[in-house]
Amino acid sequence: MSTMNQRLDGPRRLSLPFSVNLKTREIIAAYIFLAPFLIFFSIFFVRAAISSVSISFHDWRLLRPSTPYVGLDNYIDLFDDDIWWASVQHTVYFAVMTVTGTTILGLAAALAVTRPVRGQGFYRVLLYIPQLMSVGAIGLIWNWLLSGQFGVINYLLSFFGVRPINWLGDPNLVLPALSLATIWWTFGFPMLIFIAGLQGIPEHLYEAAKIDGANGRQAFWYITLPLLRPTILFVTVTGVIGHFQVFGQPYIITGGGGPGRASWTVIIYLYQNAWVGFRMGYGAAVAVTIALIMAIITAFQFFVISRRVEY
Amino acid sequence: MNIRHTGLYKNFGAYAFLLLLSAFVLFPLAIAVSQSFMTNQEVNRWPPKVIPTEPTLEGYRAVVTQQDIRLDLWLRNSLFAASGYTLAVLVICSPAAYAFARLRFPGNRPLFALLLVTIMIPGQVTLIPNYLLMRDLGWLDTFNALIFPGAANVFGVFLLRQFFMQIPAELEEAAVLDGAGYFGRFRHVILPLSTNALTALAIFVFLGHYNDLFWPIIVTSSLETRTLPVGLSIIQSSYAGQYRPMILAGAVLSTLPILIVYALFQRRIIQGVTLTGMGGR
Repeated sequence: MSTMNQRLDGPRRLSLPFSVNLKTREIIAAYIFLAPFLIFFSIFFVRAAISSVSISFHDWRLLRPSTPYVGLDNYIDLFDDDIWWASVQHTVYFAVMTVTGTTILGLAAALAVTRPVRGQGFYRVLLYIPQLMSVGAIGLIWNWLLSGQFGVINYLLSFFGVRPINWLGDPNLVLPALSLATIWWTFGFPMLIFIAGLQGIPEHLYEAAKIDGANGRQAFWYITLPLLRPTILFVTVTGVIGHFQVFGQPYIITGGGGPGRASWTVIIYLYQNAWVGFRMGYGAAVAVTIALIMAIITAFQFFVISRRVEY
Repeated sequence: MNIRHTGLYKNFGAYAFLLLLSAFVLFPLAIAVSQSFMTNQEVNRWPPKVIPTEPTLEGYRAVVTQQDIRLDLWLRNSLFAASGYTLAVLVICSPAAYAFARLRFPGNRPLFALLLVTIMIPGQVTLIPNYLLMRDLGWLDTFNALIFPGAANVFGVFLLRQFFMQIPAELEEAAVLDGAGYFGRFRHVILPLSTNALTALAIFVFLGHYNDLFWPIIVTSSLETRTLPVGLSIIQSSYAGQYRPMILAGAVLSTLPILIVYALFQRRIIQGVTLTGMGGR
């Protein structure tokens, strides 16, 4: 190998082009390595985040040249808008249902897959398939499955004597329906994280429990579940953050948040105001508010997850 | 982990549950595939038919010949934009991660801490200013808008830094004796030893970008620059009431490439997801 040959030749040092000491060279190198990242990060994140706050204090419309300063008016309007609060409520409802569903299903799947069953790897690969699909494809499929007229979900339910349900046309059912589609789509990620979590639990704990006469159920409640606590927290909190930003499912499956505004989420609200209504100033206020809500959730995540477990 | 294939009887519950779960996962896909081979009349029927009486390619023919549906182009756009983005993330983030992991310079610790804090600020806050910037740069409806705005990926820097820090310093010292400079050490020692982490990050950002809908919807407008998810959403809104087998054929065709890639690299993809997922802890 070339490095070996070079070493046999004896150490070779590059001669310094100008007289700087090694420490300075290292500092210069570091900033050269950092430069591309810092440039992109400053333009597309730092500048943008600051600019967002500034735009939110203006009545900034996309098709109008003048952008008068309006102080907190956009935030006051947002606070007074019932549609905004309804969107927040829909989003929270959807996120809680979906995270509960994906966490329980993901954990159950991980427990089953890590049992000594034949075809472990096969099931793991198979159950992760939906997660790889784009929201476009799952949207087209679930819009049809949930159809009130010809949908196969209603057909399955009809075997249990359930009369056809208009899932996507009923304001009370549309969010559970979208949540079902999303659970199907995204439980694969929690499953993989739980599998890794389960494999991290020392085998000797189960052996000790067995010697003490514990049955499988007791082992689950007193060993598996407590030791999975950090994994469960990670899965639920990243899930809440991810599903709070739901956009594609209502955009595609319910044609932009229908029926009426029954499946408007906060990101749909942002989209409708900024890119359908061209109200950039108001949209910026919405974006900043959403960011604040999510920053609080994320701060909570950092707080709980940074606490470590002891065996 | 030691795997003992004990009898079917002992793990009956696990087998039954896995079969049920597999059915739950496969059922929507099977219905979509099966009904995509039906005629429009056969699909719009109650009770629904599950197996086509006479399989037909009508839906597939329609989805590839329809003037305003360009699945092949949208797929190419998606692959191009997602690959470009992935490459940009790797090129921009890995040197930065190296500097944070290995080089001594004033401000290393505080700068990195500051970056970690920005992870808590969600990306939505950048949407409107970046959209306006794209407009002012003349980048709306171009691939530049899909590739560059998210390329400085803080999570990527974080993940790679953690990984680079685990590489033994002796390996780099050997390269120094051979006369390697900082770039040489990064290029010939650190990067070759980090292929697992780089692949995991690449898979993670590629899939995220490939499936993104919101940003491509707002920055692209012509049929020629649309990505696959946006294109599919247009098919849904234009043809939902009219031609269901064609829509399902679109869903099937658009999913096939990713399934083929998955079939070839499933182990790496699953490892990558697990590694990046755990990296976020």
